[in-house]
Amino acid sequence: MDIFNGLLLGLSTATTLTNFAYCFFGVFLGTAVGVLPGLGPIATISMLLPFTFGLPVDTGLIMLAGIFYGSQYGGSTTAILMNIPGEASSVVTTLDGHEMAKQGKAGRALAAAAIGSFFAGTVGTLFIAVSAPLLASLALTFGPTEYFALIVLGLVTSMVLTSGSLLTAFGMALFGVVLGMIGTDVNSGAARFTFDSVNLLDGLDFVVVATGIFGLGDVLANLENERSRTATVAPVSSLFPTADDWRRMTAPILRGTGIGVLLGVLPGAGVLLASFSAYALEKKISKHPEQFGKGAIEGVAAPEAANNAAAQTCFIPMLTLGLPGTATMALMIGALVVQGIQPGPEILTQQPALFWGLVVSMWLGNLMLLFLNLPLVGLWAKLISVPYHFLFPVICVFVAIGVYSINNSVFDVYMMALFGVLGYFFKKVGAEPAPLILAMILGPMAEEYLRRALLISHGDATVFFSSPLSLGTLVVAFLLLLSIVSPRFRKVREEGLQDAD
Amino acid sequence: MNRREFIVLGGTAVTLATSGIAIAADWPSKSVVVISAYPPGGTSDIIARIVADLLTAKFGQQFVIENLAGAAGALAGGKLARSAPDGYTILISGSAPLAANKVVQKNLAYDPQVDFTPITVVAESPALLSASANAPAKSLQELIAYAKANPGKVNIGNPGAGTKGHICAAIIGLESGIELNHIPYKGSPPLLADLLGGHIDFALDAPSNYLPHIKDGKIHGVAVTSAKRIGELPEVMTVAEQGLKDYNQTLWFGAVGPKGMSPDIVSAINSAIKEWSDTPAAQAKLASLGLTAVVNTPDQMRASVEREIETLIPLVEAGLVQPS
Repeated sequence: MDIFNGLLLGLSTATTLTNFAYCFFGVFLGTAVGVLPGLGPIATISMLLPFTFGLPVDTGLIMLAGIFYGSQYGGSTTAILMNIPGEASSVVTTLDGHEMAKQGKAGRALAAAAIGSFFAGTVGTLFIAVSAPLLASLALTFGPTEYFALIVLGLVTSMVLTSGSLLTAFGMALFGVVLGMIGTDVNSGAARFTFDSVNLLDGLDFVVVATGIFGLGDVLANLENERSRTATVAPVSSLFPTADDWRRMTAPILRGTGIGVLLGVLPGAGVLLASFSAYALEKKISKHPEQFGKGAIEGVAAPEAANNAAAQTCFIPMLTLGLPGTATMALMIGALVVQGIQPGPEILTQQPALFWGLVVSMWLGNLMLLFLNLPLVGLWAKLISVPYHFLFPVICVFVAIGVYSINNSVFDVYMMALFGVLGYFFKKVGAEPAPLILAMILGPMAEEYLRRALLISHGDATVFFSSPLSLGTLVVAFLLLLSIVSPRFRKVREEGLQDAD
Repeated sequence: MNRREFIVLGGTAVTLATSGIAIAADWPSKSVVVISAYPPGGTSDIIARIVADLLTAKFGQQFVIENLAGAAGALAGGKLARSAPDGYTILISGSAPLAANKVVQKNLAYDPQVDFTPITVVAESPALLSASANAPAKSLQELIAYAKANPGKVNIGNPGAGTKGHICAAIIGLESGIELNHIPYKGSPPLLADLLGGHIDFALDAPSNYLPHIKDGKIHGVAVTSAKRIGELPEVMTVAEQGLKDYNQTLWFGAVGPKGMSPDIVSAINSAIKEWSDTPAAQAKLASLGLTAVVNTPDQMRASVEREIETLIPLVEAGLVQPS
């Protein structure tokens, strides 16, 4: 079946009343859980999964997919307005997005995120239609050595993200790696840093740490100057991007989309690596790197475009190989398997209506999201002018519900409270938490792939240099590291920091 | 708005109070909590949901699923052990929290042979040894010969340290006297990816994810671990047929209650599951998940638990499986 016929078949599947309605329901729900701090798409999809067992398989999958990419749109809303990343991929959106909100540019940041996401979603969907089967086999050439190199690159870029002291960023990243080690070791099954607590055997959930440090930490810091806070938030100026904004964000959206589309295909850290690779790239090539972290619209548009593009293309390995890149994709495979469909190389020939229907529904869903989100921008932007003593109890309640819903565990809520205090401490001493969060996710992955690569090679470390993909990535990481510590770069950074003072 | 729908949906998973001793004759007079030891969507959880649905239909009371995943089922097992044996809390799960955890976890908060009342095994599945397209062996005999000629050079992936796939491979190594290089993954998908990409030569795991790729010719089926061959891969011989006599390992899923549950309630649940598993619809449903129905008696299930635990002890003694 060629692409044209496939798209026609997809159009007829996706536009049936039921499928259209469930697609809308999915993206609406996705936006809502994205906006609610703490409650993420994984928890939502787990809860709704049993509900899809009674639906036709295409309808169920269309709805679940809608929740997933819908939450990528919604996730940027809390990241920008309240400095709470709902998903790992929106951690970098907080850096400039929340700064813009504090300067009264919340509406422009939200609109930039929505427009960037829509464009990226469209390109991502088209990309699936054109090249899904080809790319899926390409992704398989990535073995443990290549993944390890890619993750090392990720860890190095995570330090580029901060605007504070490099030594602090390194310390935070190191602390993040240690936090990530808590739990059962994959290779030996040994329990590490669990202090004999059963609750820690599975490690710390990212959402628990992120909502604690970013969400609660921010609440604590804001309460300190509750009376004077209204003065620190500038009044909401314009809601929509100005001509200058458009000029500044067009190229970042294009580059972010490209990065997102490509990295999304890799099973593993696709969506996460995409958003902060896009941010790091923009900061690196920008003529004004000193504006990053202080409300640069490029720093919102590029990672948002990248994470949404990757949120579309990460369906490629799931659909064509049965390989889930993320926990969410694993749940989708569960939804298909229950209905007797094994995702794999035969899905295109055996279930063409399902495949193409999903592809077309994703584009329709992205269109719905644009119309759903742009009019809401004004409403969300007003949220930030709500008096804080009304807002913060609501935030606390929702983050507690969200964190509890992950594992139905009260222990997680206590952990979040602990990390809230830690987040407040970090704020007081001026340590940026973004490298910590990213290292907490990437550290254990680096360890897992490093040990696996060495197990497979029987301890021969030269494998990292004999694979061209791995060698190339490691060289890029090394150059980046060199450029971070080089005196010239340091000078640029320091000038930037002085400008800010 | 939909926040409310959420709370309602989430609320069904909240534990319902199960206090007081129920009289078996009245059972069930209120809803029953079915603890599922793994996250939604996995095979173990799907089985728990199927059984909860059939029990709801049979007894006219809601059997409500409560997902309590973590620590390879040890959290769910601990919760059941602390529950009242009044027939209003049961656990349906893969065998790890029902048996293996006793040997492979050091600080297990309960003893599955003492603190649980067996109800029945529900279903089982063999594990499958498969090889990548460019692997140095396509049969178990070739694999053993290759491993003897190249000691320690054979890489064999499993979906996690201490999982059934790891145990099955460790027993093959122990019984045939070869040294295998066990490589643990976080679940099946990354293992399958590395096998398809040729980054690893062999994998031992539950079959369902691998079947389409074997039919596609991208990987090879080497051996199945059960006593009989499986319907989906009639040409793939069992491990026993390829020389390891009496080798028979399966992944199984069962239902248990807390210690001291009334025999009447045990028997009522057992008969309801048995009655359902004899229907063609039930067998087709399980077959679509790569499983076979094997509903037995509480005593037979007790024996399965004991056999599983005894298989593991020599592996732990040989240092092939390390308790954590």
